[in-house]
Amino acid sequence: MSGRPVALVGGTTTPFGVRPTTWAEMAQEVGAALFRAVPALRAEDVDSLFVGAAEPERFAFQSHVAPLAAEQMGLAPRRILQRTELACASGQSAIRSAYAAIAVGLSDVAVAVGIEKMNLPSMAEANSAMGCVMDRPWDGPHGATAPPFFAMVAQRHMLEFGTTPEALASVSEKNHRFANSNPHAQFYSKRFARDKLLGLPLVAPPLRLGDCSSMPDGAAAVVLVAGDRAAQYTDAPAWVRGSGQFSNFHNLAHAGSLSEWPGLARAAREAMGQAGIEARDLDLAEVHDCFSISEILEYEALGLCGRGEGGRFATDGRGDVGGDLVVNPRGGLLGCGHPLGATGIAQAVEIQAQFAHAVPPSRQAPAPNWALVHNLSGSANVHSVMVYGREAAA
Amino acid sequence: MSAGVRPRRGTMPEERVASRPEVVAPPAPSEPRPKRPFLLDFVPLEGPDQTRLARFFERLREGRLATTRCPRDGELHWPPRLACPKCHQEELVWVDLPEQGRIYAFSAVLGGAPLGMESDVPFAVGLVDLDGAPLRLFGRIEGRPWSELRIGDRVRVEPYDVGDGRYFYRFRVVG
Repeated sequence: MSGRPVALVGGTTTPFGVRPTTWAEMAQEVGAALFRAVPALRAEDVDSLFVGAAEPERFAFQSHVAPLAAEQMGLAPRRILQRTELACASGQSAIRSAYAAIAVGLSDVAVAVGIEKMNLPSMAEANSAMGCVMDRPWDGPHGATAPPFFAMVAQRHMLEFGTTPEALASVSEKNHRFANSNPHAQFYSKRFARDKLLGLPLVAPPLRLGDCSSMPDGAAAVVLVAGDRAAQYTDAPAWVRGSGQFSNFHNLAHAGSLSEWPGLARAAREAMGQAGIEARDLDLAEVHDCFSISEILEYEALGLCGRGEGGRFATDGRGDVGGDLVVNPRGGLLGCGHPLGATGIAQAVEIQAQFAHAVPPSRQAPAPNWALVHNLSGSANVHSVMVYGREAAA
Repeated sequence: MSAGVRPRRGTMPEERVASRPEVVAPPAPSEPRPKRPFLLDFVPLEGPDQTRLARFFERLREGRLATTRCPRDGELHWPPRLACPKCHQEELVWVDLPEQGRIYAFSAVLGGAPLGMESDVPFAVGLVDLDGAPLRLFGRIEGRPWSELRIGDRVRVEPYDVGDGRYFYRFRVVG
């Protein structure tokens, strides 16, 4: 990697869930929480703000959200102020943009915030908002939304590799169990045993309710700084060590084989290559389990197991505490809910907390040195990956 | 596409690539469709005043699913395009697509439908490999309950009136 070292020195999230609050109020809330979480942070030090927000126009009837968020958070960025939109990966896009800005010297101290208000009085209107993530005039009129697309992914993976509903439930059970240790998770206080998950109603067959992440309200924010400033803010930063992204389609006609995500393999190779590591070096990963089947394809694409072995990887608990690595210890999108712009930021908050051993023991990865964060967006059109290390590059 | 480019409607030569072994009667118009705010309506505006791809919708009205092909590199596009994504030239031709294909994957929407589609629930959707064309199209699948569909089932393309004079297409199980 070239450029200046970049450290993630602190962060926070609001509770995720169906919340009696507005988009702008969540910006205030997460801003206040960020200054509590990073006591050394002074507003005047923050030269840049990147706002991850997928669909504020559709969900909050609000455009131009970057200056709105700055005002609500009490920030006055003097270098870079912008929104980053990449649907479900909007939050990671904010982090990646902040990282790039700092690495090249355009910014020294940047905040990446993600905010999404998804609960509307009309659920059908919210579903329409999600529908226009797809190629709206061509796939949209058929009723294309995420659940039927990922259901087809599951159907093909089951057909080609014998992946079972029990494997899907293993992913969901693990992530919901981790969420039971995360008070900000939407399903913090709800238990989902495997048998219960297998009996929940079908949403888009073969996917059941417990296989699908929810559409909550939530916000999260992190502070990234030039490496030489990291010690001012924390003694336990997470260092950005790699970043990769790959996209090869949007219209569903170009999805290719549904049972594999070579774009993720490519993005992950790039990010891990920059860090000088391989999949077996990862101690934990926050991956995009928008649906249970997604995590199974992600195990495979990341190289944690062979093609077609993701279901077995799940049922064998190799992504659980005590397994090969801990996957989605925060509770995942399944357990936390998926407020689009906030998700990628909240995942990064978990990575820093894991490196600092600041999470409950039931989800703590043992002595983690390397972590990967993955977001896909849309119908897995884009795969975005960050690699974090506990140590700065030598 | 720069802002000053003038539409070249009607200048694309026509060409047929697929035989049309059976003539299918157009389906009865759907129920009248309530007018919806533009930003909550998934069906595109189809007229020549709104899109340079109006020919696609004109052909749908004639019962034909068409798309564009690049005569230079042979690339068959979906959806139809104005410029070839491979060689970026703009002299494309319209071609009719095969009328039948087989289901590659499918699911059903059993809840959580977008606005205006709530009363369609449950409905099946799927990806269909068209016969003899390198295209796998997404669409509604009608004619059989989702629970009785199977991968490999044969379907045909069915253009239909969405209920307000605009046309779109869907698939219907054959047999």
